[in-house]
Amino acid sequence: MSRRIALVEDEPALRDNVRDALKRYGYDVATYANRADALAAFRTRLPDLALIDIGLGDDVDGGFELCRELRALSASVPIIFLTARDSDFDIVAGLRLGADDYLTKDASLPHLAARIAALFRRSELLGSPAQAEDVMARGPLTLDSKRLVASWNGQRVDLTLTEFWMVHALARFPGHVKDRASLMRDARIVVDDSTITSHVKRIRRKFQAVDPAFDRISTVYGMGYRWGAE
Amino acid sequence: MPRLPRIALGIRAQLLLVLTVFLALPWLGYEYVRELERFLREAQESTLAGTAQAVATALHGRPRLFAAPADPIASFARDRSSEDIAVDVLPPAASPEIEQIIGGLSRTTARIWVVDRDLTVLARAGSLKRPPLDDPPAASALARGWQMLERNTLHRLYARMLDQPTEEFRDDASAQGPARGRDIDGALAGILTTDRRTTSDGKAVIVSAAHPIWIGDDVRGAVIVEETTNRVLAERNRAFERLFNIVLAALLLGSVALTLFASRLSNRIRRLRDDAEAAIDAHGRALRPLASSTAGDEIGDLSRSFSDVLARLSHYAQYQEKMASRLGHELRTPVAVVRSSLENLNAQALPQDARVYIERARGGIERLTAILTRMTEAARLEQALKDAEKERFDLAEMVGGCVEGYRTAYAQVPFEVTGVPTIVVGAPDLIAQMLDKLIANAVEFRTSGPVRVGVSLGEATARLTVANNGPRLPDTMAGRLFDSMVSMRASDAGDVPHLGLGLYIARLVAEFHGGSIRADNLEDGSGVVVTVVLPLAPIDARL
Repeated sequence: MSRRIALVEDEPALRDNVRDALKRYGYDVATYANRADALAAFRTRLPDLALIDIGLGDDVDGGFELCRELRALSASVPIIFLTARDSDFDIVAGLRLGADDYLTKDASLPHLAARIAALFRRSELLGSPAQAEDVMARGPLTLDSKRLVASWNGQRVDLTLTEFWMVHALARFPGHVKDRASLMRDARIVVDDSTITSHVKRIRRKFQAVDPAFDRISTVYGMGYRWGAE
Repeated sequence: MPRLPRIALGIRAQLLLVLTVFLALPWLGYEYVRELERFLREAQESTLAGTAQAVATALHGRPRLFAAPADPIASFARDRSSEDIAVDVLPPAASPEIEQIIGGLSRTTARIWVVDRDLTVLARAGSLKRPPLDDPPAASALARGWQMLERNTLHRLYARMLDQPTEEFRDDASAQGPARGRDIDGALAGILTTDRRTTSDGKAVIVSAAHPIWIGDDVRGAVIVEETTNRVLAERNRAFERLFNIVLAALLLGSVALTLFASRLSNRIRRLRDDAEAAIDAHGRALRPLASSTAGDEIGDLSRSFSDVLARLSHYAQYQEKMASRLGHELRTPVAVVRSSLENLNAQALPQDARVYIERARGGIERLTAILTRMTEAARLEQALKDAEKERFDLAEMVGGCVEGYRTAYAQVPFEVTGVPTIVVGAPDLIAQMLDKLIANAVEFRTSGPVRVGVSLGEATARLTVANNGPRLPDTMAGRLFDSMVSMRASDAGDVPHLGLGLYIARLVAEFHGGSIRADNLEDGSGVVVTVVLPLAPIDARL
């Protein structure tokens, strides 16, 4: 049975293009143009994953509202924001409302498909036991690249996909400086430098929430970031 | 710059200048008093003539009074006329009867002579001199003070301007009888005649009227009535002084009131000017709204329209700064439509020659995306500034690290870096972003030689400089380089899009840190140096 993806997007051309592409990848896609339609459909039947645009026509922050309502219906449905907006504020707001990832519309369709696949894999494998060959351990840090789960001192750190891949790219070679370009490549994201900065800040904060003394990610000005070796 | 007028007169000075028109008032008063004096003189003459006529009427037709021959006393007086006679010594009257008749008139300030045809004095009465009058002492202390002031200042001024009547004049006639003049000749010819003459010492003017005494059809003598003009002069002077006092007081009061009014006006205008100047910085950006006045007059109107203009200016500037990012956001969705369409097309089975066009379209879309990212960078930075966290760090160390990175990024460009440890408080990420922009700019405009980066200490400030050899700054760009969407590049700057946002971003970062940024030509004209001035970290900051 193919997975059902709900696509909430107000721009018809883009909506159809994304739907066609995702169908090609074998997903079942239901499209909605506004918040009311989408919510009505969610109440009837939950999708396996939701792709939501933040601005829905005149409903400037409709996507945020919809995300909150969907999260209230289900705590586990993966939600990705797909939007033209890319300010830090929107990213933070979106992730705080319980979205799993955030993509700007600059992202290519294969890129989007990769994110969706990863999120499905994560939600699928979350229950199953970790395979040793997929787990990378760096001192207190363990990264399960199959289930896309990070933990610090055995405690789970709740990272988004982007954040997970950034940490993964940094921690693979401790002590090496990763410049922003290669970090973006490794994390499979299309964002600019200043967004990388705020991503790194958020990652630090998430680790610090688990361990206030966390200081492994250091900034090398003008070059990039480094995962500090022990 | 508008040309300034050669003579700059403040409103106060101008109003005071206008006030000088009122200086004509004392002159008008003077003319008026002069007219008054003429009337008084005429009145005095006719009074004297009336008196002379009255006395003469009493003596008409009484030949007995004139029968007596010239007596020795009168001759005595005439004999001694050439000698110097004491002023107060009066010749004895020759005719006691006449003396008796006119005796009753002696209390007036006039002097009356009765003479016969030979000018022998038959009788005289009264004196030309009046006892001096004292000003009554004022009742209150205030009035006394005013009197003192008046006497010491104003009176001296008036004494210079006006003839002061004096009783200290030489009365030539008192000893020898009335001076022979036009009046006596007229009277002896049978006509009532008036005359005026100045005393020999010139201190007083005497007005006289002579009336013939008729005995039958013959003129047997004359009545001469004399008086000084002192009474009229005193009257005139008093009127003049009062007028002058009032005019002076009004002028004084008027100028004080006008000065206060003008001061208030010019203060308000000056305050408005200062406010308006402070509301706009050197780059023409509105810093803060002008507090609009609630005053209902023209200056209040001016202030309100200033405030309006500034608000509109600031809206426009904001619009201009936001335009790039808004445009970027608006363009993002259609670009995404094109991109996703191309990607979907790419997934179809297409002939090979069609793929070439798809690749070209994708290339175009990539470039468009790069432009959009740049356009929204400023807006994202503004967002980042809002939640930037500041920390203490060594600017020189950070710059050193960055330059290492630039050496890799711009392999063909030599970099020179100098610096002393300089602790500042700020967001190093943002400062690095600013430095990226400055370096990118310097590398682009460099024609030869190294890009020189320096960190130095100023007075309570840190100075970060980036210098490169290359073309000088065009004069027209002065002060605008750091505005949004202003670029000094030639329009054919190659395939990298330039939106003139780099230096604007640098400015945002510098201003966020409480600093400033400016670009100057190098002193030897060989290139350009951009200087960022940042405040030093306070010594005990806990940040």
